Amino acid sequence: MTEETTSPSRWRQVGIAGLVALLLGVAIGFVGTHLVQRSGLPADDSAAAGFARDMSSHHAQAVAMGMIAADRAASPAVRSLGGDIAMTQQAQIGMMRQWLRDWKLNVNSPAKPMAWMPDGDSAVQGNLMPGMATPEEMTALEKATGPEVDRLFLQMMIKHHLGGIHMVDAVLSETDQGDVTWLAGTMKSGQQGEIAAMQSLQKTLGFS
Amino acid sequence: MSISTQGGEQHRPNVVKVGGKPGAKPGEKTPAGAKTPPKGPKGKPITPIKVNQGRNWGPIAMFTAVGVLAAGIIGYGAWQAFKPPFDWEGAAKAIPGIVDYRETNAADLTRTHAYGTQTYKQSPPVGGNHNEVWQQCMGNVYDAPIPNEHAVHALEHGAVWVAYRSDLPADQVAKLAAKVTGKEYMLMSPIEKLDKPISLQAWGFQLKLDSADDKRIDDFITDLRINATQEPGAVCSNGNTATGVTPLTQEQVQQMMQGANG
Repeated sequence: MTEETTSPSRWRQVGIAGLVALLLGVAIGFVGTHLVQRSGLPADDSAAAGFARDMSSHHAQAVAMGMIAADRAASPAVRSLGGDIAMTQQAQIGMMRQWLRDWKLNVNSPAKPMAWMPDGDSAVQGNLMPGMATPEEMTALEKATGPEVDRLFLQMMIKHHLGGIHMVDAVLSETDQGDVTWLAGTMKSGQQGEIAAMQSLQKTLGFS
Repeated sequence: MSISTQGGEQHRPNVVKVGGKPGAKPGEKTPAGAKTPPKGPKGKPITPIKVNQGRNWGPIAMFTAVGVLAAGIIGYGAWQAFKPPFDWEGAAKAIPGIVDYRETNAADLTRTHAYGTQTYKQSPPVGGNHNEVWQQCMGNVYDAPIPNEHAVHALEHGAVWVAYRSDLPADQVAKLAAKVTGKEYMLMSPIEKLDKPISLQAWGFQLKLDSADDKRIDDFITDLRINATQEPGAVCSNGNTATGVTPLTQEQVQQMMQGANG
């Protein structure tokens, strides 16, 4: 008799306790993972850190190309675009370096370039990341004069941007880090727009 | 009794006894309420049931678990927030054989721009007055000596300068070049007179080595490239790409700058 009369209320208590425990668990899990994600700094071998390092190197070459165009291109439109690209990408290098400082990481890594990227090994040639010009190509741009500066710059920068977008796509699929996804996203849209502008300049200037 | 919950064995008997006592119905055996202890069948006072004095292990366990989790999350966040910055200087100083001239010869590491040949206390130089133009350090592998006055300016910008004695075997040179080619904030050049086959320079730091296979080369680069800069944000592009041992004169630099604008 005792068991029969008390069972329903005990069931209810157990049910309520279970429900409370479940809700608490969900709440802790939700808040906990958010806290860890927000306060959790990317690791040294993370895609976020690898991207910050490698995209800085990639950008550095674009700055070099952009400055040459800004200084010496024949077309005012190419000079303007070269300066725009150089200034933007140099500022972004500063941001990416600061991320690494904020994440308490070294700006350098003993890992090979693009090690963070799936199939990164095949994408990299020596120390050159996708789309990057070889030292010989850079020397040719440096030595060029007149409209040849414009022609080489447009050709090399379109290729450079395409490689950069490839790296952006890779990091967007590998990380949720807020700063990285934000800046990488703007790099992609910005560089896509610039590719279109450069292709249009190639036509206008009679290079294609 | 097949229900099994946390702390159930402790909790359940109290609930059962209180709720299930036939005599607990109000107004029957204890009309005066709970103030007078109820009598048992033999007139003996029944020991009052301690309802709440036993430990309720369920809630205790639950709150302990929540507390431990909260402490863990807060602790993790605090650890991340107070994690010390990367200590590149400490890492560099730990490389066996490295010389830290910042510590021993800080007075030599002046940073004034000057034209003409400069004399440096260290060989190859690791700092000091230098030419207005830096040597391009976009991973340039120079096949002939470069002017110290431009190389030192590259060091000031955070570059690592890989210098090797001119008689270093070609396969050793190739190994060094692989670490430098196309990597910005790196440059490499031969030097006629060098007391060791290889000498690595960053601003204020030097490491001399016998072989390109030495693991300390990568350590030096990893610890000091960019980190050793005196001008954070300064670039390696542009600059002087000419080889030779004489730095650019003021006239040559002016010509270079005018050429850039024409």
